[in-house]
Amino acid sequence: MTSVTFRLSLRSLRAHKRRLAGTLLSILLGVSFLTGTMVLGDTLRANFDTLFADANAGTDVVVRSADVLDSPGSAGGVRAPVDVALADRLRTIPGVAAAEPSVQGAGQLVGSDGKPIGGQGPPTLAGNWLTDGRLNPYRLAEGRAPAAPGEVVINRGAAKTGGLYVGSTTVLRTPDPVPVTVVGIATFGANADGMGPSTFTAMTFTDAEHHLTPKGAGQASSIQVRAAGGISQRELADRIGPQLPSGVQAVTGAAATQESTQQLSGRFLSMFTTLLLVFAGIALLVATFTIHNTFAIVVAQRTRENALLRALGAVRGQVLGATLAEASAVGLLASLGGLLGGIGVAAGLKALFSTLGFALPTGGMVISAAAVLLPLLVGTLVAVGSALLPALRAGRTAPLAALREAGVDRAAQGRAGAVRVVLGGVLLAGGAPVAVLGATDGPSVLLTAGGALAVLAGTVVLGPVAAALAVRVLGAPLPGLRGVSGVLARRNAARNPRRTAATASALMIGVAVVTLFTVFGASIKATLDDTVSKSFAGDLAVTTASFGAGGSGISPKVADALAALPEVRQTVGLGRGVARIDGHGRTLDVTDPARLSGIVDLGRVDGSLDALGTDGLAVSRSEAQQNGWKLGQSVTVGFTDGASGPFTIRALYEGGTLAGDYLITRQAWAPHRVQDADTMVAVGLRGGVPLSVGKAAVTKALLPFGSPQVQDRAEYAKTAASGVDTMLSVVYALLALAVLIALLGIANTLTLAVHERTRELGLLRAVGQTRGQLRGMVRWESVLVAAFGTVGGLGLGAFLGWALVEASDSAGTGSFAIPPEQLVVVLLAGLLAGAVAGLRPAGRAARLDVLRAIATD
Amino acid sequence: MTTLDVVRGTAARVADAVKIYGVGGTEVRALDHVTVEFPAGRFTAIMGPSGSGKSTLMHCAAGLDTLTAGSAWIGDAELGSLNDRRLTLLRRERIGFVFQAFNLVPTLTVRENITLPLDLAGAAPDQAWLESLIEVVGLGDRLQHRPSELSGGQQQRVAVARALAGRPQVVFADEPTGNLDSRTGTEVLGLLRRAVDEMGQAVVMVTHDPTAAGFADEALFLADGRLVDRMERPTAASVLDRMKAFERRRS
Repeated sequence: MTSVTFRLSLRSLRAHKRRLAGTLLSILLGVSFLTGTMVLGDTLRANFDTLFADANAGTDVVVRSADVLDSPGSAGGVRAPVDVALADRLRTIPGVAAAEPSVQGAGQLVGSDGKPIGGQGPPTLAGNWLTDGRLNPYRLAEGRAPAAPGEVVINRGAAKTGGLYVGSTTVLRTPDPVPVTVVGIATFGANADGMGPSTFTAMTFTDAEHHLTPKGAGQASSIQVRAAGGISQRELADRIGPQLPSGVQAVTGAAATQESTQQLSGRFLSMFTTLLLVFAGIALLVATFTIHNTFAIVVAQRTRENALLRALGAVRGQVLGATLAEASAVGLLASLGGLLGGIGVAAGLKALFSTLGFALPTGGMVISAAAVLLPLLVGTLVAVGSALLPALRAGRTAPLAALREAGVDRAAQGRAGAVRVVLGGVLLAGGAPVAVLGATDGPSVLLTAGGALAVLAGTVVLGPVAAALAVRVLGAPLPGLRGVSGVLARRNAARNPRRTAATASALMIGVAVVTLFTVFGASIKATLDDTVSKSFAGDLAVTTASFGAGGSGISPKVADALAALPEVRQTVGLGRGVARIDGHGRTLDVTDPARLSGIVDLGRVDGSLDALGTDGLAVSRSEAQQNGWKLGQSVTVGFTDGASGPFTIRALYEGGTLAGDYLITRQAWAPHRVQDADTMVAVGLRGGVPLSVGKAAVTKALLPFGSPQVQDRAEYAKTAASGVDTMLSVVYALLALAVLIALLGIANTLTLAVHERTRELGLLRAVGQTRGQLRGMVRWESVLVAAFGTVGGLGLGAFLGWALVEASDSAGTGSFAIPPEQLVVVLLAGLLAGAVAGLRPAGRAARLDVLRAIATD
Repeated sequence: MTTLDVVRGTAARVADAVKIYGVGGTEVRALDHVTVEFPAGRFTAIMGPSGSGKSTLMHCAAGLDTLTAGSAWIGDAELGSLNDRRLTLLRRERIGFVFQAFNLVPTLTVRENITLPLDLAGAAPDQAWLESLIEVVGLGDRLQHRPSELSGGQQQRVAVARALAGRPQVVFADEPTGNLDSRTGTEVLGLLRRAVDEMGQAVVMVTHDPTAAGFADEALFLADGRLVDRMERPTAASVLDRMKAFERRRS
């Protein structure tokens, strides 16, 4: 590029600062979000890394079972325990300074107000107090270490939250309620309240063994080893390794730390950051439309100037280069701004997730080189890429155009070409059936997603063809409402269909994604609701209000205690366990199947649930079908303690119910379990007992168990669905950005349109259009464009939502639901936002000086 | 106000009008104490070289611009006392406009352009009047066309029809033939003349073209913001002579 073209593009930048403000802002917002996502990911990873490193700081080697049991849908894996006696053997190995068995489990403290502490996300841990000061990451801040049964040390964070002090007595739910006395309060490391936001209760080793291990004695989760001076972690691990029994391994402390971080990154963090990146992508995609449109209009308006350059001898490349240089300057500038904004976004997102209940560890911001360079590159590329087509058009400007009247706003320019119709038609005609096929026959999410993308692309391509018609239809009531200003608003919105479509497309994509999630969420809720109402034949459900790794479940004694009440006909507890079935990790429901059938409707049952015994399983029909199992067949079940054996499938039942895909008896499970807990206890009341009476009786009976939640069927269904609402609110917050960028696009296009219609607007004012009428005209045009985008997005989103719901429902038991109220809210919000987007351009139009507008050069 | 008043009285006037652009050293006196009346039912041409203030006079008299000092009246309404909204309403009810170019709204049909001021006011057009007007401008077969499908002369005839549609107190025409060739220009001027003769319309036209001024009942001459001369029943030749005389005097 020559210096002349560069100078020209800089001049034009400076001259049209306001025109490009919208472009600048949309890139800035998109890049902010992208940067924010990456910085947040880096920061969290680093924060967690520090946390785990601190936890293992004094541990040089961890001796543990080599076998990890994992199932899809369960957080982390489960390891078999190791023999406590191993610790004594390890101490005899030269180089071992200390070896101490460590028991780790779940235990939730009850605060002084009777409410459980934590349980909403971060883990609530319990274990033994390590007596070796270097192995133990906790330091006593007050009081002393536990020495007698029932004595515990708790972390300072838990003490603060629960209002507990040295000397307080409370209950630890393991989940069996264990009465404990706080004898000490500890900090994590030198001065932290805890290991991140998690809670920790430390007991004596005997207590920990008793409450947290299956056999109650002789077992530990792992053995922590400290090396004597001068021996490296690696050396010691190599020395210990050969001395261990089979199935037990020695890993270095550093490796264990890395493993913990990776486990978290691999599951929670990568899912989390992928989700955020998807939304950053949507925001940038929407920004692309806005930027493209701005440059298309600016180039059209500059036709005369570019033609003059060409007439004076500028070659195509120079005109093209000038436009692209302008775009890259805008892109780079906006991306730089976005980088700064992104750090703010990262901090804001972290705070947002905290307020929504996803507590994250604290720590400083970490900004990697990738988090700086990638958004910078992406932002600039998006700007240049979006401006490419308009720039090519600018390059093609004929020198003669300088002499002609610049008819920039002619409808003829926006006429949809035959190519467009054919291409869009093919994409739609090809994509829609593929999406439908993927949804109904199969079903296959991948097929549907491919079809959905084609439909989306087709809709965008066909936009200009549909725009004129759609605006005319949607704007039909306007002339009646607003007279000639309404007529003008409608015609103006339809006068350049390509521009209208490009403007509306941005909003359409945003609204389509919002609608997609709304429909998807409503369908999940409907499915959950359906599941509960179809399969839950009981009257009350006892659950704990917790999610994530926190909480400790319900004591298995609850079911029996409640069954003894005179008001209660029957109860059954449902627990969760992980086992390896024919080599694959699976989640099992541990229960008493015979009692279950009276309270949870399992549909048609083949075989008998009563006779599962200690070597039988019940499997859902769909799961059996997928694996090709038949009634009476034998499968191998491997447990967390390493034991495994053949189990016979004795019953098949309907899938998609409250019970999962596998049922096993408590008797079969008991010998292999780690910590016994129910996730839910279903209660059926005796005939004639009013619900309120039954509920009161059950609630009272639960007092000694730390008061888990008691809900009737409707409440239970609602709670089951409330997680969906939380998720949706996060998604909406993230999508608000894309919608905001789309609205900026509408405002920007209109501002440019007002600029190029200056004379026309001046004429209207001269012949008697009041400022109010003029403002109304521009605003209604904005509303029309927004209506086109919103209605299109609603239709597209509802279709894609349907396809996705059907496609992801492999069992065929889900329901599809369109929530009319929420979609009406989306529609109204879209229209209102259109009116808001039109405010500034309308104000500018109304402020036009009539005389300057109609002056003839 | 009765029709009689309109016919016999003054359609518009300015009194002691002063318009100053800029301040201090860059001050330009576009109008310098001009007093002039535009009688009802008369065709008045405002003549003058570029920068003489003729366009400023028209803009101020029509309420498109405000005076620095003095007063401007449309009928009995003093424009200086009106706010933007009342001024706009007055324009659409009592003034018709014809501009040199960019006269029509491209998204509206010919008929919609003609009734635009009435539609903006939400007033029902007088159908009989509208039909006769359309016949006079000779665009009966083009009513559903868009402006871009018309020639320049046809567009200007639509603009004249629009200016007359609401039977305003006065029509202001700003160089209405400036963008037209002489034949189509004559057509447009003939239309304005017929409006005065047959409909009793008051027309004020700003022009620098002596031929155009020849269609008027009276020509006013402006120079350096002052009213320097007036001529009853001007012809193209007499106007040209008068302007040449000014040029000599100035140089």
